[in-house]
Amino acid sequence: MTQGSQQDAPFVAQCAATGATVTTSTANEVVAFYRRRQRLLDTDIEWVSAEHRAVSQAPESDDVAYVLRELDDDFERGVPLGILAAAMSKQGRTVGDTLADVYDLRMAGSLWEPRSDYLRPV
Amino acid sequence: MTRWNPSNDDVEAVSPDITDETNALPAKYFTDPNVHGLEKEKIFGRYWVYAGHANAITEPGAYFTRTIGDRQVIIVRDHDDEVRAFFNVCAHRGSKMVEDTPMTDPGNMGRIRCPYHMWSYDLDGDLESTPQSFEEAGLNPDLSDDDVCGMNASENSLSEVETDRIGPFVFLNFADDPTPLAEQAGTLKSELEAMPLGEYEHATRYVSEVDCNWKTFAGNYSECDHCHANHQDWITDIELTESELEVNDYHWILHYTHDEDVDDEMRIHDEHEAKFYYFWPNFTVNMYGTADGYGTYIIDPIDEGRFQLIADYYFSDEAMTDAEREFVQTSRQLQEEDFELVERQYEGLKSGALAQAQLGPNEHTVHRLHRLAQEAYEA
Repeated sequence: MTQGSQQDAPFVAQCAATGATVTTSTANEVVAFYRRRQRLLDTDIEWVSAEHRAVSQAPESDDVAYVLRELDDDFERGVPLGILAAAMSKQGRTVGDTLADVYDLRMAGSLWEPRSDYLRPV
Repeated sequence: MTRWNPSNDDVEAVSPDITDETNALPAKYFTDPNVHGLEKEKIFGRYWVYAGHANAITEPGAYFTRTIGDRQVIIVRDHDDEVRAFFNVCAHRGSKMVEDTPMTDPGNMGRIRCPYHMWSYDLDGDLESTPQSFEEAGLNPDLSDDDVCGMNASENSLSEVETDRIGPFVFLNFADDPTPLAEQAGTLKSELEAMPLGEYEHATRYVSEVDCNWKTFAGNYSECDHCHANHQDWITDIELTESELEVNDYHWILHYTHDEDVDDEMRIHDEHEAKFYYFWPNFTVNMYGTADGYGTYIIDPIDEGRFQLIADYYFSDEAMTDAEREFVQTSRQLQEEDFELVERQYEGLKSGALAQAQLGPNEHTVHRLHRLAQEAYEA
């Protein structure tokens, strides 16, 4: 457990439809941005940059559960959903893609959410 | 004398007299998180708030959702062709029923169904059916089936939200006994309804998140003293000295006279000018004067320091022409220029240096905005 923070650097993401960008201090704020955009536009969000150490050290894999397990050591109180989404962007996954995968895993009981938008493997 | 903090922090309520130095809303009303919570009730829970465009839902069962503050609403066209609104909350145990559905991508449903325990409602909000487990007491040894009286449809209907319209614009009001929309809108209603706004189709939507309080942008929209220095491309075709800002009870109109006459085909309205309508609290109608179409803005707060500008554009066809695309781009340029300005202003306000701003004599529209906010807080 070395980090626990998601605030190492600004996170930048953009709307896939319009290119509108957002810069946030936490990765989970990008998730909040995604939800607000989806509510009004039904569009997805792509990552532009996320220079967080956990993201850069995360394995490049399509397997969300595997990536979550690898990130878990770094976050004592759960992996921020936005950090996981940023790590998955290395495989070209959008925020919406990762949230859909996470939802499926949750519904299958394969991960748990100790608090809202923070994940841990089962 | 400028009211700086901390040397002179004795702010006062917005003076009704614009020539007084306390003619602006104190800065704390732009930066205090508690004020954001207050506004959800005192402003967005009390006045008529724009929900969306009726053309988005033309068939029975067509719907979209809208979130205003913490309130989530379904706007649906019923079988009598009426646009109605209901809280997106099940009468059973309060579950959110329908997924967020933007006006730009509306859904259609034969009935409103809660996915939790499958309570279903007609499009007029009446409870239509419940599963059999609500009509018999098989799991409860203390009751017989005869003890279960069933659910009365109308007594267990959805909570309806007051709706009314100005032409195709659908508005909501969450107050128990709201002032009629016609009263809040005044002459705005007849003026907008005199134009064929319903004949235009939604073409595109831009949503921008901006780092300032929603009233900061509202104030910027409401005056053009800043235009000469900051919108140099736009004002090349505008005669600012001949323009006029008209203030009414709950709306104000910015009349911008064009330098040279524009073809009648390039306007919806008769006057040879651009007309920008601001309708308290957070809706605008933009009649550009140089496009056969119009735009609307919703200035939706996210929190005390951020808002979403939801910009919708309407033209004769939802597929825009090249000229219309170019027009929208010009409009977007104006927005971006304004975002820079209001974020700079908000950075200053957030610093806490200024206790109360002061308005100029030609910022009487902003004065009206600030007065309405003050009145709402005190109500």
